[in-house]
Amino acid sequence: LISATSLLLGTSITISSNHWMMAWVGLEINTLAILPLISKSHHPRAIEASTKYFLTQAAASTLLLFSSMTNAWFSGQWDITQLTHPMSCVLLTTAISIKLGLVPFHFWFPEVLQGSTMTTCLLLATVMKFPPITLFFLTSPSLNPTLLSLMAIASAALGGWMGLNQTQIRKVLAFSSIAHLGWMTIILIYSPNLTLTAFYLYTVTTSAIFFILNTTNTLKLSTMMTAWTKIPPLTTIFMLTLLSLAGLPPLTGFLPKWLIIQELTKQGLTIMATTITLLSLLGLFFYLRLAYCATITLPP
Amino acid sequence: MTMMLLNSASLRGGCCRHETLLQLLGPLLSHSKLYSSYRRPGAEPEKKTLWQNADFSFKKGFDVLKTQLSLLKEETQNHLVGPEGRPFSEYLLEQTRVLWQFRSQEDLNKWIISSDVEIGGKSEVYLKLSRNNQGALLYGTLNTEAPRDGETKYSGYCSMRAKPRLGSFRRKKYYDWSNFNSLYLRVRGDGRPWMVNIYTDPYFSHQKDDLYNYFMFTRGGPYWEEIKIPFSKFFLSSRGRVQDSQHPIWLDKISTLGFTIGDKVDGPFQLEIDFIGLLNDRAHTEEFAYEMYDKNTPV
Repeated sequence: LISATSLLLGTSITISSNHWMMAWVGLEINTLAILPLISKSHHPRAIEASTKYFLTQAAASTLLLFSSMTNAWFSGQWDITQLTHPMSCVLLTTAISIKLGLVPFHFWFPEVLQGSTMTTCLLLATVMKFPPITLFFLTSPSLNPTLLSLMAIASAALGGWMGLNQTQIRKVLAFSSIAHLGWMTIILIYSPNLTLTAFYLYTVTTSAIFFILNTTNTLKLSTMMTAWTKIPPLTTIFMLTLLSLAGLPPLTGFLPKWLIIQELTKQGLTIMATTITLLSLLGLFFYLRLAYCATITLPP
Repeated sequence: MTMMLLNSASLRGGCCRHETLLQLLGPLLSHSKLYSSYRRPGAEPEKKTLWQNADFSFKKGFDVLKTQLSLLKEETQNHLVGPEGRPFSEYLLEQTRVLWQFRSQEDLNKWIISSDVEIGGKSEVYLKLSRNNQGALLYGTLNTEAPRDGETKYSGYCSMRAKPRLGSFRRKKYYDWSNFNSLYLRVRGDGRPWMVNIYTDPYFSHQKDDLYNYFMFTRGGPYWEEIKIPFSKFFLSSRGRVQDSQHPIWLDKISTLGFTIGDKVDGPFQLEIDFIGLLNDRAHTEEFAYEMYDKNTPV
């Protein structure tokens, strides 16, 4: 209860703050609140996951604080929306990327998710990403478009590529999260509202996935093959939700992708739009494989 | 202490400054095995430092780079095929897998043998192919006589351990045994008990001594045994001590497997291993054998 309340508190503080200090305080509260949840089982791998999470998030928070201090030194103010100094912008982008798990700072994310329970994974993939994305939203006019675009394309590519051969479902969902973050980041400069829309829809869809996996107690693909016998209607919903996450029309998950491609094309970034669309095919491959294992297979 | 200080003052201008430092710091470092100047009887003599060993040959470096790049290319191609380079359908449908099979010297080279000679003991261990190249023969003599160094109280162990897998650019690679729930061994022992050790190679160094162990009791005799050890039976130990809080082994990131004999009985030992494999025993439903009850129930 304390951890959950602290998570809510930390998230609320960050998303409602105007001052960099308060934003940092909210992020730190979030980090500290989730650590007991990750390490609850005291399994050596859970301890490893919580240690990795703490180290990466602490480093990111330090960078964020340094970025805000540098900006305050040069511009004389601590307002989040007035991030003007170029070095501060780059440092902030790096800090938020580490927080979110954007490539090339993604290495901790699959391991941390693998060491946590399904419910904690859900929190890590949704709630813990909300404050950093809010900070990105607030500072989007000042950020470097080239850097963000490169990180976004790389995230979509690596998220799809690394998710191809995963047999552990939590790691698959971690790479799916990385790929979706790529989509959210690529449109941040041009239409921040679309980033938030994509994030909300991703949160709703992935929450459904995590809840279903928690109900069927499925941790790996081979277990998923036998899970359909437990609750067949749930398996049908699972399949549809997975396809929605993959971005197939006419499901809801297609909407943010469509709007992002439309916006990118309007901005004259057709090549970027084509690249990220083609890279999402990698993700589609493993989503279809999950859907296939969950629904169309019989146990050996 | 005063004499040591006087000595150090006299030697200060000389070339023996580092020895002086060691003398001064000796009492401070005597409890640390890492910095002790005492070399155990079984330990190898001091090697050259790392920088002295470095080979700055450009041609050799280029060859190594070519080898690593070809390994990387092979890994990328395997990534397209499926998990661990095998098709996905094979992963989903398999219920047995042979991990190590001993038919040639190359198979033996994937294993390392060690004994208490490293700490100054007198046990002997050897590994060779058994008759008709139909298995590996691990044999030797166990000697429980402790080395006379004033520190070691116990001795007498021999072990055989699989070498950890390395990918391109010497990155660690792990086995994914999550599809299976039992270890399957075809062995022919001499009646002595062995310990099977599984190492999961954790990321942080404070867990580097964690090992999952279980016992393998062999029968002596001419017949081969097929021993199945469920992974749910493996218990967690650290630096040889069984831990109070037990956790089941997670099979998605396994580094090495090993066998150890240390039953405190002097004399020869012998273990023949045909193959080591994995089995998904559908009849075995136990998740973990130790302390699944709630340990902190409120009174």
